[in-house]
Amino acid sequence: MDFALDDEQSLLVSTVRRWSERGLRTWAADADRGGTAPGPMWSAAAELGLLLDAVPAAAGGLLDGDAGAYSHLARALRGIELGRGCAALAALCESNVEPALAVARWGSSAARETLYRAIAADGAPPAIAVVAHDFHERLAIEDGGAAVTLRGRLGPLPGLALASHVLVVATGAAPVLALIPVASPGARVVPCDPAPSAWRAAAWGALELDGAAIPAELVLARGAAARAAATEVLSWMRVGLAARAVGVAAIALDHAAAYGRDRVQFGQPIGRFESIAHMLDENQTAVAAARLLVLQAAWEIDRGAASAADSASRARDLAARVVARATIDAVQIFGGYGFVNDFPVEKLMRDARPFEVLAGNEALSRVLAAVEG
Amino acid sequence: MDLFHGEPMFGAVRQMTHALAEQEIRPIAALHDRDESMPWDLMKKASSFGLSQTAMLDTRRITGDADDRGDKGGERKPGRAARVAVVGAEELAWGCAGIGLALAGSGLAAAPVARIGSEEHKQIFLRALKGVDEAGHIKVAAMALSEPQTGSDISSLATGARRDGDHWVLNGHKQWITNGRSASIYVVWAQTDASLGRGGVRGFLVERGTPGLVPGRKETKLGIRASETAQVHFEDCRVHKDLMLGADRVSEGLGDTKKMLDATRPAVGAQAVGIARAAFEYLLERVRGGSLRGKPLAGHQHIAFALAEMEMEIQASRLLVHRAAWMADHAMDNVAFASMGKAHAARTAQAVTTRALALLGDEALEPGHPVEKWYRDAKIYDIFEGTGQIQRRIIAKTLTGLNAV
Repeated sequence: MDFALDDEQSLLVSTVRRWSERGLRTWAADADRGGTAPGPMWSAAAELGLLLDAVPAAAGGLLDGDAGAYSHLARALRGIELGRGCAALAALCESNVEPALAVARWGSSAARETLYRAIAADGAPPAIAVVAHDFHERLAIEDGGAAVTLRGRLGPLPGLALASHVLVVATGAAPVLALIPVASPGARVVPCDPAPSAWRAAAWGALELDGAAIPAELVLARGAAARAAATEVLSWMRVGLAARAVGVAAIALDHAAAYGRDRVQFGQPIGRFESIAHMLDENQTAVAAARLLVLQAAWEIDRGAASAADSASRARDLAARVVARATIDAVQIFGGYGFVNDFPVEKLMRDARPFEVLAGNEALSRVLAAVEG
Repeated sequence: MDLFHGEPMFGAVRQMTHALAEQEIRPIAALHDRDESMPWDLMKKASSFGLSQTAMLDTRRITGDADDRGDKGGERKPGRAARVAVVGAEELAWGCAGIGLALAGSGLAAAPVARIGSEEHKQIFLRALKGVDEAGHIKVAAMALSEPQTGSDISSLATGARRDGDHWVLNGHKQWITNGRSASIYVVWAQTDASLGRGGVRGFLVERGTPGLVPGRKETKLGIRASETAQVHFEDCRVHKDLMLGADRVSEGLGDTKKMLDATRPAVGAQAVGIARAAFEYLLERVRGGSLRGKPLAGHQHIAFALAEMEMEIQASRLLVHRAAWMADHAMDNVAFASMGKAHAARTAQAVTTRALALLGDEALEPGHPVEKWYRDAKIYDIFEGTGQIQRRIIAKTLTGLNAV
C-alpha cells in the first residue's frame, strides 16, 4: 500500500491547485453575486483539459482510449482542488465527465456524434452536458421497444441552463439510460431565476419533458443493463461530488484556521481557545478521512472492483456530511464576520448543501438498500 | 413550578403573534429575503396592532427590573414581560426570523433606555421614534455595541468618549448594528475612562443627524436578510453630557449592558425555537403526505426517528427558554438558564434545519425554498447576542467559578 502521489498525480494536483487559487477563487465572489460564470473561466478550463478529458481522442477529445482508460483517481484529486476554488464553477467545469464517459461506454455512433460535436464546439460559454438522475422516480417512462418517451420534470440541476444534452438516469420500474438533446421536441429547459442560493453561478435549470421521444440510437441502455450502467454512472458522479465536497470543506477550514490565528479576543488569538482548537481539529480529521475514502472509491472504480459502487456511495455520504459540518463551523469561528458576504465562509456554507442532495439522498438510499437486501 | 399555565394572557399573545406570522409575515418572507429589504409596510402595520417598538419603555415590562414588582402587603408580584417576549418571539420567528427582528429591532435600544435611562431620556427616545422619517418609513432605533475588533469580547470596546465641557466627544466604529443605517436614534456604548476598564463603559443617546454620526455600509448577509445590519461610524460626534444613560445613578458600566443581554437572551433563544419549529412542521407535513417504496414516509424509521429527535430537541429548547423567562419574571438570577436556553435553541435550530434539508432532498434546491432560508437564518443564533462559545463559558463559570479558556 502506498499513499504517496506519483509524479504525474503531483503535477496534476499542483497545476489544478494553482489555477483554483489564481482563477476560480478570484472569480468566485463575483460569480456568486452575479449568478454567472466568468467568460475567461471557460477558455482556461478548456486549456487545462477539464471540459473534454472524458471525450475519446478519436472524437476530438483528450481521453487516450475508451471509457475504461479514464482515471477516476486523477479526477478525484483534481476535484478536491477544484472544490477549493469554487463549488459552482467546479461543477460546471466537471459537468461533461459522466455524459461523455457514458456515451463512450454504451453510446451508439449517433450518440457519440451528437454529444461530442456539441460539447467540443466553440462557444461563449460552450455547451455542456449534465446528468439528471430520476432519484424520486418522477418520470413517466414509456419504452416502446425502439424510442423511449419521457414525461415529467427533473431538477433543479446545475449546468442545465447551459446544456445541449442531458444524460437521463432512471432506475425505477422502467430503467433507462438515455441521452436527450435539450432541443428535442417535448423537452424544455427552464433556467432558475433567481438562482438557488447554493452554487449560484452554476447555471441551474429544470428539465421539463412533455412526451419527449428519445430515438433508439440515443437510448444507451434499458432494463437490467440500464440499471447496471446507472450504478456505474452514479458511482462516477458520487466520487466527483464527494471530491469537490472535500475541497470545499478543506478550504473552509483553511480560512477558519487562518482567522483563528489572526483574530484576537480576550487578549489572545481565538484559535488558542480550546473549544475553537477542538472544533478545527475534529473537522480536519473528518476531512482527512473523507479525502481518503474518496480516493479509495476512485481507485476501486479504476480497477473495476466489485466494491466500487458501495465505496463511492459511502464516500459521498461521508463527504457531504463533512462539508456541511466544516462550513457551518467555519462560519462559527468567523463569528459575525462569517455571516456577512465580505468573507468567503458564508458562501461556502450555502455551497455545502447540494453535495448532500444531488442525485438523491445517499444516507436514505443506503438504509433502504441495507434493509431491502 | 408553573411556567405558563393559568395565565390566559400568554395564549392570547401566542394567538395574536401567530396570526400575524401566518397571515402577514410568511407571505412576504421570501421576497424580503431575496431583496434583502426591510418590511417597512408591515412594521407600520404591526405598530398599529400594538406591537409597538417603544412598548418596552414601560419599565414595568422590562425583565427582572425592581420596578417590575408590585407591592401588595410586601408580596412581590411576578412580572410577565419576559414570558410575553418569548411567546411572541417564537411565533414571529416561525413566520420569518429576519422580519421578526425587523419588527423588534428597536427593542434592543429601548431596553437600556428603560432600564438605566432617566425619565427625560425615555421622553427623548420616544420623541425620536414618533412619526415617519424622510423616506416615509416608521422610525426605528439602534443599539450600537459591537465593534470590528470586539465581537465577543465586549469588554475591550475601542469607541471612546472624551469629555469636553458639557459634551462628550465620541470617536470609533461600530459593526453589525441592527437598524444601523436607518435608525432615528442610537444607544451608543463607549469607553469614558480606560483606567476603569469595564466600569468606564457608558451608553449615550445619539439622534440621527447629529454631526459626526455617520451611518455606514449595509452588510450583505447569509440570513435574517429582512433585518438591516450596518456599520456606524463616530467622527468627533459631540453628545451633550445629559444624554449619557445612567449618569444619575451608580452605573455598573459594562455590567449594565451584560444585564441587558441576559434580559433579552430568552427571547433570542425563542426565535431560534421558532425557526426550528418552522422547519420541523414543514418536514412533518411532507412526511405525512408522502410515501416511499410503497410505504408511508412516516413508516420509515430513518425519517420518523429524525422527526422524533427534532421534536425532543425543540421541546427541550423551549422549556429551557421558558424557564429562563419565568426566572426573569420572578426577578431571579437567570444567567445560566438564559445561556442554556439560547445555546441549546441555537444548536437545535441549526440541527433541525440541516437535517430537514437532507431529508427533503433536491426539492430544497428550488430557489426561494423556505427550509433553505431557515437553514441560513438559523446560523446567526449561534453567533449574535453572545456566541455559542460565550454561552458555554457563562454556563461553565456558574458551575466552576472560573473563566475557561
